[in-house]
Amino acid sequence: MKEYDIVIVGGGPGGSMAAKVAAEKGLKTIFFERGRKPGEKNSSGCGLGPRMWRSWPDMMKNLTEDKCPSLRAGRFARNYLVDKKGEVSAMILARPTESVTYEPAKSFITMNCYRSEFDPWMADLATNAGAELKCSLLIKGLIKENGTVKGVVDEKGEKYMAPIVIGADGAVSMVAKQSGLRDKWYHDHITLVPQYDFYAPREKIDLIMHEEALAVWWMAGGIPSAYQVFFGDGFHVGLGNWMQSWEKNPLYYLNYVVNLKHFQRLIKMLGAKPREVQAHLLPWMPYPEKTYANGVMLIGDAAGFPCPLEAEGIFPAMESAEIAVEVAAEAIAEGDYSENKLKEYERRWQEESSIGTEFDAGPQLWSVWKALPFNAKNMDWFIPMVSEALTGIFDWSEPHKVRIRQIVAHVKKYLPQAMPTLMSEFVPLFTKALEDDMGKLMDPSIMPTLINLLPKLMSLMPDKKKKRRRRK
Amino acid sequence: MNINDFDLKSISTHIEGTGDFISIDNDKCNLCNRCLVICIMNLWKKREGKIVLAEDYKQKCVECAACYQVCEPGAISFQYPAGGTGVVFEQG
Repeated sequence: MKEYDIVIVGGGPGGSMAAKVAAEKGLKTIFFERGRKPGEKNSSGCGLGPRMWRSWPDMMKNLTEDKCPSLRAGRFARNYLVDKKGEVSAMILARPTESVTYEPAKSFITMNCYRSEFDPWMADLATNAGAELKCSLLIKGLIKENGTVKGVVDEKGEKYMAPIVIGADGAVSMVAKQSGLRDKWYHDHITLVPQYDFYAPREKIDLIMHEEALAVWWMAGGIPSAYQVFFGDGFHVGLGNWMQSWEKNPLYYLNYVVNLKHFQRLIKMLGAKPREVQAHLLPWMPYPEKTYANGVMLIGDAAGFPCPLEAEGIFPAMESAEIAVEVAAEAIAEGDYSENKLKEYERRWQEESSIGTEFDAGPQLWSVWKALPFNAKNMDWFIPMVSEALTGIFDWSEPHKVRIRQIVAHVKKYLPQAMPTLMSEFVPLFTKALEDDMGKLMDPSIMPTLINLLPKLMSLMPDKKKKRRRRK
Repeated sequence: MNINDFDLKSISTHIEGTGDFISIDNDKCNLCNRCLVICIMNLWKKREGKIVLAEDYKQKCVECAACYQVCEPGAISFQYPAGGTGVVFEQG
């Protein structure tokens, strides 16, 4: 039996951050990784968000290509709109917009890198700070006395005692299960994400993709939307969906995307070759459930913290790690490890962290994603409607005046299908996001004008029949 | 290149040496077939009206735990393989 101040189960970015901060506070800290090294059991969707550079500038400035050769800045993101026949109907290339306020967020959307390189780098920071790391070791259980967690036991029966145990053990969290915080996820709180990694020569990616290191394939035709992320010498393509939504093998859907004519062309141009198949569970919640119990706190994916819109989980894992360790240090100083004390962790992430701010609109954000990329029926109007509205005017088939009428009429055709979803999803989201300013927006002097204007605008919009009459 | 043709086993790496880490209790199983559908490596089969796990699952499983998560009656048990064994994501 070994004794520590704090035991952390899991050596991902959350576990390593917790171990680093705990060791820096002078706490006797151990963290565990079931792989031979951190990161070899994990797969990144994208990579790191710019907020990491804002929150931890001194740490992040040391993350350089010599330590992490797979680094590639995602400066541009291409949005492919793919119709139900599998044809790309529009492409929209996006980069950080004018309203983004700080560097490096103005320069890149994500900093892509493989977890197999990033996680060991993070773990080294923790061990350099004095934390002990045990790899190739599976933690099998919690040790409890009178309903309070007092430590953990490994697969060989060795015990590690500590008044505080942090569950940083991911989506399939043993700590969450054995502490009674969660048995299984609700089916629409967790997604399965299958993913391929492709090798492609670095210089080809540099030349052909240049700064365009991210893509979303927005899919109609009953295929979940997919992401594509470029790294130093390769790329990932993956997609996710709720557990109950797979009608066929998840790779059927991923293969459909990879076999799109346009995707095959990319593979050919880049000289890309399939290199690895991966799959993982990814929590995708409207709001996290309870994250603490007697002697236990959950952080990162184990707590359900990936963001409710696109399920980015590394930043919230690291942020929650910091908060959990702060509360742990206070609990240790006070000698109080009860649920009542650790409730402070939940209060802080809810009220004083970006996780709380994100989940404040969590139910609305989650619902929007559920209604669109994860809803095949809706994507069948969303893709052609958006393609029409954004790109229809660049066309020489008719005088542009006629084209405008054709486009408006065509968009109008989709409105009966689109309006219920747009109203039920986007109105609550904007209402939530703008709730502090609602007073101004709901100014009684402008409301009647708006209400009168809408039906008028709708009636002005041409429809197909009217257009045909006019052209005769 | 038709991606449907590639041999998934050839693009995944496994370290040997784990004991069993997945099992099914056929008395609890309600034959909903969700595990059969969701396993990307096709490690669940139906034989003589019973769901069975592929014998070589330890060399193929990517440890996503989707079968465990999707199993409503709780017939499938899942624990991670022994430390230092099982799937390795070199480009994870």
